Amino acid sequence: MRINAFTKTYGSRRVLDFPGCELERGKICAVIGANGSGKSTFASILAGTVTADGKVETLSSKISCGFMPQKSYAFRMSVLRNILLNGNDLKKAERVLNELSLMELKNAGGKTLSGGETAKMALARLLVRHYDLLILDEPCASMDMKGTIAAERLITEYAQKENAAVILVTHSLAQAKRMASCILFFDDGKLNDDPERMEEFLRFYGSDKGDPGNGGI
Amino acid sequence: MKTAFAKAIELILSGSPELLNILATTARMSLSSSLIALLLGVPIGILYGAVRFPGRTPLVVINRTLTGMPPVVCGLLFYLLFSGVGPFGKMKLLFTVKLMIIAQVVLITPIVIGSMETFVSGIAAPVRETAKGLGFNGVRTFFLLANESVYQIFSSYLMAFARAIAEVGAVSMVGGAIAWKTNVMTTAIMQYTNMGNFSLGIALGIILLTISLLVNIAVTLLQGRLSS
Amino acid sequence: MKRVLSVVLATVLALSLAACSNAQTQATTTPATTAAPTTTAAPETTKAPETEPAAPKVDLQILYEQDNSMINTYTLMCVNPDAPFVDADGKEVKDVALNTIGAEALINFLLSEEGEKLAAGYGYEEYGEYLFYLLDDAPVSRAEIPAATEETKQIRLSTTTSVKDSGLLGYIIPIFEEKYGYSIEVYSAGTGKSIANAKMGNADLILVHAKSQEEDFVSAGFAKKLDNMEKERMSFMYNFFVLCGPFLDPVGVKECATVKDAFKKIADEKAVFISRGDGSGTHTKELSLWPEELGIKAEPESFAKYTDWYTSANAGMGVCLTMAEEMGGYILSDKATYLTFRANGGIMQ
Repeated sequence: MRINAFTKTYGSRRVLDFPGCELERGKICAVIGANGSGKSTFASILAGTVTADGKVETLSSKISCGFMPQKSYAFRMSVLRNILLNGNDLKKAERVLNELSLMELKNAGGKTLSGGETAKMALARLLVRHYDLLILDEPCASMDMKGTIAAERLITEYAQKENAAVILVTHSLAQAKRMASCILFFDDGKLNDDPERMEEFLRFYGSDKGDPGNGGI
Repeated sequence: MKTAFAKAIELILSGSPELLNILATTARMSLSSSLIALLLGVPIGILYGAVRFPGRTPLVVINRTLTGMPPVVCGLLFYLLFSGVGPFGKMKLLFTVKLMIIAQVVLITPIVIGSMETFVSGIAAPVRETAKGLGFNGVRTFFLLANESVYQIFSSYLMAFARAIAEVGAVSMVGGAIAWKTNVMTTAIMQYTNMGNFSLGIALGIILLTISLLVNIAVTLLQGRLSS
Repeated sequence: MKRVLSVVLATVLALSLAACSNAQTQATTTPATTAAPTTTAAPETTKAPETEPAAPKVDLQILYEQDNSMINTYTLMCVNPDAPFVDADGKEVKDVALNTIGAEALINFLLSEEGEKLAAGYGYEEYGEYLFYLLDDAPVSRAEIPAATEETKQIRLSTTTSVKDSGLLGYIIPIFEEKYGYSIEVYSAGTGKSIANAKMGNADLILVHAKSQEEDFVSAGFAKKLDNMEKERMSFMYNFFVLCGPFLDPVGVKECATVKDAFKKIADEKAVFISRGDGSGTHTKELSLWPEELGIKAEPESFAKYTDWYTSANAGMGVCLTMAEEMGGYILSDKATYLTFRANGGIMQ
């Protein structure tokens, strides 16, 4: 599975210049970088919610692609209905809800959930269906520790079971290291594989506050 | 004012067949026109609010202009088109409730479109992003947007209904306020005023407001139940 | 959406039901259903005062009436199906659909002995006096009136507000409809608008009261002469306009020898005068009563110099009467509307 090269420009500002890369099915690829480094733009362009310069096709069109935006959105219906929007498998839905400790809230209105709960629900909504490529933009950013652990397990399991490639945008290096088999480091809109620059970045982000793995770097 | 209130109650209790006919015509006209305007306006409003297609901005500007169309102008237009000498005179629609409904639909639909467009613009971005992220197509996204807008749809309906039931300029032009046929509350009030029978006019006004209040209560209750 | 509709319908229905129950008769909305009173009607049928308990006294009074130049003649005309109709762009329009058979039927009924008797007898019940009189030379029709057929059933009558608002049509028309099976749609507006409506092809016959406008209508070819009639204009009934003003009559129009003198006096003294200003029959009559040298006509420029006392309201009779009451002005009115106005206590606060 290949991501083609593309760029993204807002006005005169080039925010992203991506050289292209290969993705492997069944594996997770983490995307890290500072704020404004282009991670989310990268994810949105892959998902198709933002178009690249010149409307370049970034993926082969035969790939089915699921995307969890940075801001999770609950539709105006119960949590369970929100999830069943994306498939009729009630058993699967209930299992995922259970794993994410949302079972008790399954009949609650989607709009009544907290930020973390909404994120869990949005993740569950994606995980009940098969996608060739799953793009997750900071899925655990607002989840508690228990939720993060469950989410990580579910995502890893999904990649293997569905034989799907997963792109995981995250701020947590620890999480990236725990889950991913490859890391894309975005630096000012460009991919950077300079180990020194990475080292420098790591020094700033060395300890992940509140991360369950607590700094496995 | 006191006598007008007394007269309003007396008038309702009297059950005068003419009053009942006026009430029935008013209900038929304003409910039909507001519902048709809703059915037309909601999809267009959602489209305008959610999709950035070429030519959208001019369409939105035109729609906003139409929102301010004076009812008499709309009435005059339909009067000329459907007069015996007009291009559609053969259809014999002038001075019928049908044409009153059509004129009102033209008048009210832009209001529904505008109200929906404004609301949907505000929620479209996250809904579209999420729907696209799940791999949903346009039709599915449209229904999700409609579902997210239920509260606003009710509010838009009430706006449309209020305009329909309170409107007099267009209805009097195309309806002609013909007794037992096209006379509605507002045109009847106008007639009584012109006759110098103010207390009867006020009495009808009170009845009109009461009906409006009841419809508003009913729809608002429904809105609360269906949009939670 | 179905649920919305049903709830809304239920609400309206509930209200209608509430309105139906506990029925009570009310005179003002259901015009007299009893037969026309004879000329020697009992005096106690004058308007019952109990229906208007808190009615404030109306200052506006009839100061001048029954002057020959205030005669208000009502004329029937059948719209000519071959009239030179034009559309909004002035382009000629052929074959405008008119129900001439129905129009002739209604005219022949109104001008029949029965119809004329009904018209002349109307008003005593409601107002305590007759509102219309038959012209001595009113044409009388003895023509056979055909029963309605599917094609001729709908008759569109364009008329003036005073005829309709006085209740005359509501009194006569149901009798005609019941007898011959027609169904009449009454469009009422000021005479000018009413005639314009007929010229747009939206009326089968007209009943109006402005001679000059009627004559224009005839000379433009819009009126059809009935076979059994002598003229296109069938003037058959009349009443008098009334000149109303403040009870104290500051200008003293009551003492004037003729109504034209009264109008001259109003103009000389610059007393406030309310004009309909809407091209109605009342307006047309009023214009004919001013001294010629003032040059007051329908066009706004013609009275631009007199705006300190001459108020062109461009409104219905009722609204104008209120203005006159509030401004303490003089006004020309048809009698029926003035009587309704007075009965309702005039102004509303």
